[in-house]
Amino acid sequence: MTPQNDPIRCEEALDLIEPYLDGELPPAEAARLRDHLEGCPACAAELALARRIQGSLRALPQPDCPPEVIARVVRAGRGEVVPFAAPAVSAGRRARAVRGRLAAAAAVAALAVGGGTLFLHLQQQREQEARPSQAEVAEATREARLALAYVGKVSRRAGLDVRDEVLQKRLVIPTARSLSRSLGDLQGPAGEPRKEL
Amino acid sequence: MQRPLVLTLVLALVMSLLGAAGAAAQKLESQPGYLPIDQLNLFPVDKLSVEVNIEGPLLRMIAAATRQDDPGFSSVMAGLKSIRLQAFPLKGADAGAVKGRIGGAVRWLDAHGWVSSVKVRDKDQETYIYLKQSGEKVEGLTLLSFSPGDEAVLINIVGNIDPAQLGRLGQKFDLPQLQKVPAQGGAKKPE
Repeated sequence: MTPQNDPIRCEEALDLIEPYLDGELPPAEAARLRDHLEGCPACAAELALARRIQGSLRALPQPDCPPEVIARVVRAGRGEVVPFAAPAVSAGRRARAVRGRLAAAAAVAALAVGGGTLFLHLQQQREQEARPSQAEVAEATREARLALAYVGKVSRRAGLDVRDEVLQKRLVIPTARSLSRSLGDLQGPAGEPRKEL
Repeated sequence: MQRPLVLTLVLALVMSLLGAAGAAAQKLESQPGYLPIDQLNLFPVDKLSVEVNIEGPLLRMIAAATRQDDPGFSSVMAGLKSIRLQAFPLKGADAGAVKGRIGGAVRWLDAHGWVSSVKVRDKDQETYIYLKQSGEKVEGLTLLSFSPGDEAVLINIVGNIDPAQLGRLGQKFDLPQLQKVPAQGGAKKPE
């Protein structure tokens, strides 16, 4: 029998395969499906595949559903309002979570301390490598004194210049003017020397 | 709960490492009293009669080495971050060009927040002392001197500076005596 002549079409047969395997089809419906499968190798292959999948799934270990969840589902099924609540965590699981957090924090802290120590170590190593010898420090000391001596020399020169300038303006020039006036009194008009004192 | 804690710690780690790296990498160039001598290009470096470049760690070592014998000098050195000196002999050199470049440097200092402390122009001699101040603190000293027939000098000192103390120390040191010591490191013996 070909699928075209079968009173059950292939699409309908594929929909019936799952309930058939679960034993949920009425006997008459199941018989009609079997008739179709006998004449339709494609749908028969689908049935075989579905059987294999079902077998594999059944072979998997079934996880335990916590009794609180089952109770809540049952209460919800009865139409009761089930308030949301945080899942009850066992003391052991809580302790494991705390230990996990502490381990993570410890790992990060260790990383921070390790990184900082490594950084400081490398820094010290660099300074150690660049550390000058006693002779170099002595030479640098001489250079530093030389630089300060230059500061002294230049500022002394500037100070002397200022002093000279001040002396020139406040003492030498006024004294010269005063002297010149005095001499002018002694000399004749227009700077001519007096003929007699 | 776990994620924010770890994130906080990771951030703290990154911040502490960045902070340490930043502190270590705090460059002399970023100091307020630093003078970009290379940029000013005052004197031809290969013709300097004296050149001194002393920076941070070496200055601390000088301070430590002289603590017993010369406590005043040691305390000055401990506060400094760098000492740079360039002396350029003017005998036989184009003194006019050098004088022009010193004038350019003075304009640069005026334009960059340096305060003129001493400005002496007498005949051909010129002396400028500039300070870089931060509030009451002096963080930089630049000294420019032009003395025809002798030499032109540039000094830049960075750090915690007491100009009066520097001047007093400078008077104490005998320049000709110091110049006689054969140079081994950065300082060149004057010709």
